[in-house]
Amino acid sequence: MNLFTVDSLRAGYRGKEVLHDVSITVGAGEFAAIIGPNGAGKSTLLRSLSGYIAPSGGDITFMGKPVASYTRREFSRELSVVPQFTETDLSFTVREFGELGLFPHRKFFDVGMSSGNEIVDIALEAAGISHLRERNMMEISGGERQLAYIARALVQSSSVMLLDEPVSHLDISHAIRIMDVLHSQNRQGTTVITVLHDVNLAAEYCSRIIALKEGRVFADGTPREVLTYEKVEELFDTVCIVTENPISKRPLVYPVPGFLRGGG
Amino acid sequence: MKTGIKILLFTAAACGIFVLCVSAGSVFISPFRIPEILSGGAGSVEYRILVDLRIPRILMALVVGASLSVSGVVFQAVLKNPLADPYTTGVSGGAAVGATVAIAFSMSYFLVALLAFGGSLCAVSFVYAVSRYRGLSGTALVLAGIALSVLLSSAVLLVFAFSRADYVHKALLWLMGDLSIAKYAVVMRMAVVSLLLTGLGFLYRRHLNIISFGDEFAHGLGVSRGDIVNLFWIASLLAAISVSLAGVIGFVGLLVPHVMRFMFGPDHSRLIPASALGGAVFLMGADTLGRVLVPPYDIPAGIITGFAGGLFFLVLVIRKGGAYT
Repeated sequence: MNLFTVDSLRAGYRGKEVLHDVSITVGAGEFAAIIGPNGAGKSTLLRSLSGYIAPSGGDITFMGKPVASYTRREFSRELSVVPQFTETDLSFTVREFGELGLFPHRKFFDVGMSSGNEIVDIALEAAGISHLRERNMMEISGGERQLAYIARALVQSSSVMLLDEPVSHLDISHAIRIMDVLHSQNRQGTTVITVLHDVNLAAEYCSRIIALKEGRVFADGTPREVLTYEKVEELFDTVCIVTENPISKRPLVYPVPGFLRGGG
Repeated sequence: MKTGIKILLFTAAACGIFVLCVSAGSVFISPFRIPEILSGGAGSVEYRILVDLRIPRILMALVVGASLSVSGVVFQAVLKNPLADPYTTGVSGGAAVGATVAIAFSMSYFLVALLAFGGSLCAVSFVYAVSRYRGLSGTALVLAGIALSVLLSSAVLLVFAFSRADYVHKALLWLMGDLSIAKYAVVMRMAVVSLLLTGLGFLYRRHLNIISFGDEFAHGLGVSRGDIVNLFWIASLLAAISVSLAGVIGFVGLLVPHVMRFMFGPDHSRLIPASALGGAVFLMGADTLGRVLVPPYDIPAGIITGFAGGLFFLVLVIRKGGAYT
């Protein structure tokens, strides 16, 4: 059964439409990457799926019901969101931060502190940051902090996760650590939909790539279907070479320096 | 547990300061004699000083200080701006116009408070409407609040320009925040309302923790727009009743939450009670200082809190540099 069904979606921000006529479906258990150039509408699509912005046209349904028909609380029990990384100066411990994920599962008047402890422990373990549990969020590295954000999302809902550029500010080693965590979660049944800047990470980890260009779906399929040099060159208006990662046999894209297409 | 000890020490210090504040004044009354005087009946001068003057004033300072400081905590979370304070939304400007007009027409204390309250609610509603139009964003709210405050302070000066000098002086005293007008009946009613609003804010403590991390983060965790609207009005009402009964007392809602966050961390389940207690003690201390510094003159509490707040932030800027911008 389809988890998300997006039909002729139009969406954007005050007076400016970013997505024009996007139709996709995402099934349970997929690991989908949304790729495309800056301004193509990747974050807008993700935010439409999470209900953060209301569509200006078209329909989005989640498990057969319109996204808008869920209350915030109901919806956030079903799926968790990791928004684009922003620095904060709030000195929670990693564990306290993870506990924020219990929020939609608690009642308004609930005073209990202990319920849900195991869920937090499991999530910290899955993200590989159990050893940091008592550390302050301000003291750990950017990569570790992003892992804490992902653990927090796992506490909230491990059935569906939406992520907006979870690795774009990180070095390769932390990027790989985070993608590995998402990958192993996906194998345990989590549906993962993530915006990615790095097409090669998308190629390595994802079962499906949705490429957006100028607010429309440009290509949609497996990495091997989407990441051909004709498509990638047109998608990014850049001359590229697509080969194959000799270990994983996945497509590998690298740009040719100094060549922009179309006189750009 | 470490925080447990901190809370205990903090509460003990608060009680100590309370006793000192009751004792201090143009006539010093030893703390050890207070029970004896109070049980001695209405005959003595000291009894009259304590019961008619000091205690209502101190109770007023406690209630107003707690309200302003809790309002500040909520606003700082909702607006995601560490420099937001209870007056960010133009509450003080609206109240100032209402009160100044009432004083210029030599109305009673009750009407001054009523007009001040009406003025602050009008200002908040206006700022709310503007920011609602712009999607309830924190930045729009702060900017609308600043713009409105400028307009309203010009309006106050305009009223001054047409008023008699003694009314201007009276209005100025009100604007500086004056607790000497405290009366039991008013204080008790305000205490009930403040306690209810603070309790309501406390129920939202987990929402506040989450909202502090940003709109999209909070939305993803199930915080609805309605929750944010409720918090906005809780904080605004706390500020509006404080300012309409005690005048514009600045910096309490800014300084106290900062100190409490430093002492007890960012979790609102500790931050809200700590700020309520801290704000109450801080304003009580500031008001007492105003009473004893240059007797027989009373320095309005708002002036003391202004000095304390300004100095505090200067020290913060010098020590931490741009880390707070």
